[in-house]
Amino acid sequence: MKFKVPIFDVKNLNFSVKGQSILSNISFEIFAEEYIAIIGPNGGGKTTLIRMLLGLDKPTNGNIKIYGKKLEDFKDWYKIGYVPQRASLVDSSFPATVLDIVKMGRTSQRGFFSSFSEEDKQFVQDAMAKMDVLDLSDKMVGMLSGGQRQRVMIARALASKPKILILDEPNTGVDMVSQKSFYALLRQLNKDDGITIVFITHDIGVIADDIARLFTINQKATICNNPKQALSCQEMSELYGIDAHLLHVHKHEH
Amino acid sequence: MLIEMFSYDFMQRAFLAGIIIAILASLSGTFVVLRRYSMISETLAHSALVGVAVGLVAGYNPLWMAVVFAIISAWLIEYLRSAFSLYSDSVLAIMLSGSLAVAVIIVSLGGAFNNSLFSYLFGSILSVSIEDVITIAAFGSIALVMLLIFSKELYFIAYDEEVAKTSGVKVKFLNFLLVSVVAIIIALSIRIVGTLLIGALMVIPTVSALQFRVGFLKTVIISLIFALASVSAGMTLSFYFSLPSGATIVLCVLFIFIVSLIANRR
Repeated sequence: MKFKVPIFDVKNLNFSVKGQSILSNISFEIFAEEYIAIIGPNGGGKTTLIRMLLGLDKPTNGNIKIYGKKLEDFKDWYKIGYVPQRASLVDSSFPATVLDIVKMGRTSQRGFFSSFSEEDKQFVQDAMAKMDVLDLSDKMVGMLSGGQRQRVMIARALASKPKILILDEPNTGVDMVSQKSFYALLRQLNKDDGITIVFITHDIGVIADDIARLFTINQKATICNNPKQALSCQEMSELYGIDAHLLHVHKHEH
Repeated sequence: MLIEMFSYDFMQRAFLAGIIIAILASLSGTFVVLRRYSMISETLAHSALVGVAVGLVAGYNPLWMAVVFAIISAWLIEYLRSAFSLYSDSVLAIMLSGSLAVAVIIVSLGGAFNNSLFSYLFGSILSVSIEDVITIAAFGSIALVMLLIFSKELYFIAYDEEVAKTSGVKVKFLNFLLVSVVAIIIALSIRIVGTLLIGALMVIPTVSALQFRVGFLKTVIISLIFALASVSAGMTLSFYFSLPSGATIVLCVLFIFIVSLIANRR
């Protein structure tokens, strides 16, 4: 069997603030080309977990390895694309066209002195084409709809040619129709381009059919390799601390 | 009329220094405004005044001392902001009033309340020496090169500091670099615009340019044009009406701001 180095190898991770535990004893691995959703109640520690994976918050104790290297020794951050929760809530007066934003995705790979090369240009064009925002190139990002902004932010993350894309509640401020096509797009990036996708979501019903693994986070983590099974009433009630009922909806043909 | 103005050596020096300052203030001002750092220009200007006071009292070049004290203050602000859980605006307010108090005490003890100090507070085109022009050009070139080299990183950080950090941009280093460059530019500008008014030249051209809602590069160019126009018009008015140059420059840039607001009203 071929030995595979996990992209993320997380062991016994703990995070607490002023003695209060936010995350406790979390361990998991994330491998290349996985498609993973993270669910859990608000305040359960989902965003904190992602922030620690990205080096934005330091764990109280525990270890995080990225591609086999300790997080503090990891240098190839361009391999990780990040789309934060507030991504679609851009300051409307910020002076940036769609092209300006997507070009930011190439910043760390260009180096301090180099100009925007033909290769950079190609990567930016590819990312914009993939997210279907090429025709918005000269538009001010503040003038776009929530769904359009969301695609632009993902195009920015894709411009660095990442191996893994981490998205924190990417559907905040986006309408239902855009949400469905958005998840289809994420699945396509995973299947066609082999990009590992990890995202926090509350849209449990929409994603259930597609995801390979489900992480449920509420101070502790439960890793479910069979997401449909995990989404039972009892599991959901335990996770969210409320009574959950399963509704079977039958689609009628007209 | 213009030929008459430029027949004076001091006006040639003042215009040369003014143009360099307009370029530097508007370029750095774009990042300062987008990072919501507008108040830092006021604070560093007051810190530069401590350097001026030390220079006047101790007999060193006040402009050099202003650069040194403004940089020390910029680093202290950045350190206090990152090392302690203090609100940014509170740190700036503390440093601003603290610096002013120290400057007043030094000047008072050294008996240096005179016209020379007045020119550093409000700017004066008469007082720009050839030594000042050389200092402004030398330090200004370093600041300009730094801004141009790191402009794409600074723009990314201004857009979203955390996303920039997660993509490998050296955010902490660049934050220190930006405040250091801003400190140098502010210290250089006080000869022409004055300590009390330099913040306006750094912030208002960019805020006016932002009203046009165009991309980054166009915003920078518009801001640069506004700053150059304000400095040129302000110094010309200062020459013909014997007014402090800092105040006339700021009134010109304020006029541009009002016109920009009205022209882009929605």
